[in-house]
Amino acid sequence: MSRSLLTLLGIAIGIMAIISLMALGEGMQQAVTGELSSLSDVIIVSTGGNMFSSFGGGGSTSNGEYFTQRDVADIQRLQGIKQVSTQLAGSGLAEYNGKTTIVSLTGMDIGVMRLQYASQNLEAGGFLTEGEQNEIMIGYGIAHDTFDAPISVGGRIKINGEKFFVSGIFGKQGFGGSSSDTLVLMSSRDFQKLTGQSNISLIYLRVYNVNDAESIAASIQNTINGNHGQKDFATATTMTSILKTVQTIIGILQLVLVAIASIALVVASIGIMNTMLTSVMERTREIGIMKAIGATNLDIMSIFIIEGMLVSSIGGIIGIILGVFGSQALTMILNSFMSMGSSSSLTPIITPMSVVLAVTVSIIVGVLSSLYPAWKAARMSPIEAVRYE
Amino acid sequence: MNKDVIVTQHISKTYGKHPLQVFALRDTNLEIKQGDYIAVIGPSGSGKSTLMNLLGCLDKPSTGKIFIDGHDVSTLNEKELARIRREKIGFIFQKYNLIPTLNALENVELSMGFAGVDSQTRTKKAKQLLELVELSKRLTHKPSEMSGGEQQRVAIARALANNPSIILADEPTGNVDSKSGENIMRILEDVNKKGETIIVVTHNMAIAQRAKRVLRIQDGEVQEEHV
Repeated sequence: MSRSLLTLLGIAIGIMAIISLMALGEGMQQAVTGELSSLSDVIIVSTGGNMFSSFGGGGSTSNGEYFTQRDVADIQRLQGIKQVSTQLAGSGLAEYNGKTTIVSLTGMDIGVMRLQYASQNLEAGGFLTEGEQNEIMIGYGIAHDTFDAPISVGGRIKINGEKFFVSGIFGKQGFGGSSSDTLVLMSSRDFQKLTGQSNISLIYLRVYNVNDAESIAASIQNTINGNHGQKDFATATTMTSILKTVQTIIGILQLVLVAIASIALVVASIGIMNTMLTSVMERTREIGIMKAIGATNLDIMSIFIIEGMLVSSIGGIIGIILGVFGSQALTMILNSFMSMGSSSSLTPIITPMSVVLAVTVSIIVGVLSSLYPAWKAARMSPIEAVRYE
Repeated sequence: MNKDVIVTQHISKTYGKHPLQVFALRDTNLEIKQGDYIAVIGPSGSGKSTLMNLLGCLDKPSTGKIFIDGHDVSTLNEKELARIRREKIGFIFQKYNLIPTLNALENVELSMGFAGVDSQTRTKKAKQLLELVELSKRLTHKPSEMSGGEQQRVAIARALANNPSIILADEPTGNVDSKSGENIMRILEDVNKKGETIIVVTHNMAIAQRAKRVLRIQDGEVQEEHV
């Protein structure tokens, strides 16, 4: 009896691992999807390859080339576009507390800024205000590491000799791809006034109809590539395609998590097999009696398979219940680690699909791991078995 | 004239290979008729159990043929043999051999379950059989809660469950006191009077004397004793 309970516990732990890790993955999926789908009408045009190097990062260009005003004008001429804005990239000399260093500068429209950094935690202060001049937002690294003394909101930094007030400081970036830690963000107008340049590193636009986004992105790419006479000068990326990419990545992550959890289940199924084999040995006499009174090999096999199935499916159900709590605990731990980086906290989501999967898997495990013991039982000769003491 | 329920033709059972070959049973020819009451006697190791295992289709003869109700069982596969055991034969063992985790009623129902009888009919029949063996008050008792004599009567009820043609009893009174033994023999004889074929292995000459036929086995050879 206690042997069966321990076996059952093994299955329960395996199923718990699967359920809680799947819930975690699903929670991640939904959190990211929710965040990104609010931006589904957005297209981002960047130079060179993957836009992930520039989105949220502050406009580093891979090939050192920039968009021209003609590119922007061409885009504005296309149909179905609601709003176009640009992100400017350059560098300047920043001075604070007697130390001078080169920083990269990013200029963009304030409205776009709010959208693009909406998901980013603020450590202190707020976004730039429309109409105010000489305000900047800085990354966590600029505020704490670049200069000898930390900078706080309201602090004054000289950039190329011009005074700027810090209105907001971004929180420390978590695991996100490119870091906003070294960001110095100002309005497009301030940027142009300060640097006298308008190096457009990123064009940011919104369309009227989300369904047109893909086709508009394609024609933008063609137009700009034509302007520059290069095949792959620009990449226009829709949020939908980013969403797909991110979902694929999380999907792979989920798969890896489940694969790891499955190891626990494999160990548990070996446990079932072991228990069943012992049980077959102990019940040799019983098996012989049943055969003598007319049980077929199939009857004997099904007795043991049903027993294995029972143990594993009860274990599975307990595992699902444990998994509900386990996933809560797991996300609580993860949230406490990530609370510095991201504004959105994870919530585990247990889908009916994952419950069905868990039950199915546990039944299959039960059947598979009792097949061999059951076959061994069925193969016993009735006289040997009846004689066995 | 009653028909033959068991016919054996030159059956023998050997163990081991040629130079070390041991005969457990030699060239045995038997004709057992419907309603026979046969006692099998002989010293330990003479081949009584071997004969019972062969007649009960738990084992196959090394040579020769066994016909049970006209079926040549040497040609049957495992599944068909199980069916013969279930439908034609009822086993009673010296050590009762009830399933310890099942109660009296469930033990009797078990073989009907293997035969595919539905659970309502099963329970009804099992209750009738337990009444026949005077155990109506022990339906929900586990084997460990019953005396040897009671357990053996449950075993008799179980053996009768699928209306077999033959009851094979291997020392049914070997492990019970003489009063219970007498009770058990009386039940078996009642069953025999209703037309059931009974084959009883015994050491007890008094019991053997009550049978209609006595088979004596010595060193694997079977001889009919004329009483």
